[in-house]
Amino acid sequence: MDSQKEEKKLAQRTYEVMYIVDPETPADRIEKLNEAVGKVIEKEGGTVVRMDDIGRKQLAYPIEKKNEGHYVLFEINGSGQEILELERRMRVNDMIIRYITIRVDEDRKKAEKLQAKRENRQAKRARFRATEETADTPAEAAA
Amino acid sequence: MAENFDRPDRPERAEGEMDFGDEGFGDKAPRRYQRRRPRQVVPDYVDWKDIDLLRQFIPERGKIMPRRISGISAKDQRRIATAIKRARSMAMLPFVVD
Repeated sequence: MDSQKEEKKLAQRTYEVMYIVDPETPADRIEKLNEAVGKVIEKEGGTVVRMDDIGRKQLAYPIEKKNEGHYVLFEINGSGQEILELERRMRVNDMIIRYITIRVDEDRKKAEKLQAKRENRQAKRARFRATEETADTPAEAAA
Repeated sequence: MAENFDRPDRPERAEGEMDFGDEGFGDKAPRRYQRRRPRQVVPDYVDWKDIDLLRQFIPERGKIMPRRISGISAKDQRRIATAIKRARSMAMLPFVVD
């Protein structure tokens, strides 16, 4: 019980942060930028769950007269403090032309609940069917 | 009573009763909507990065498909719509196609 309460106080949340880097920046600078992002997150008490350098992709509409962008996705566990700092830095960074932060833990939890419910129902149905079958077989044997 | 299977959003009309066009619909014949995809399966977790899934709900113009055509539940439609909007803001989906 106590450990559960403490977890709530820390408010562990999961975020997805995606940003588009200017495609004209050299690859080594993009790598450096990604490293810097990871460092900022860890400094503010968050952990990087997943780092995905998606790479160059066609944009659906031009942003700052560019038709391509270098996509990078981060999945972060943390309290939200690191998001604050990260967004501030992304806003002033000239290389990053677009960014987005999405909180995903709540929706994922809901999805898990839905799935558990469905599995539960299926298990119940299977059990019911099984009892029906066992009830049938002795009657057939008797006949 | 004739049941309006194809238009559950409109009140039922008795058989033989005619619509003379003075009931607020004007003189145009009422539009008929066809439920194109009656039982779409939407995953429990709608990932806003899953462009291929979201594309199913975007006709050629790039607009979000209305619920009467997509035929999914209100909850699912809401989740799909927010996911599309998120993907749009990251230039993964277009706002308009012209």
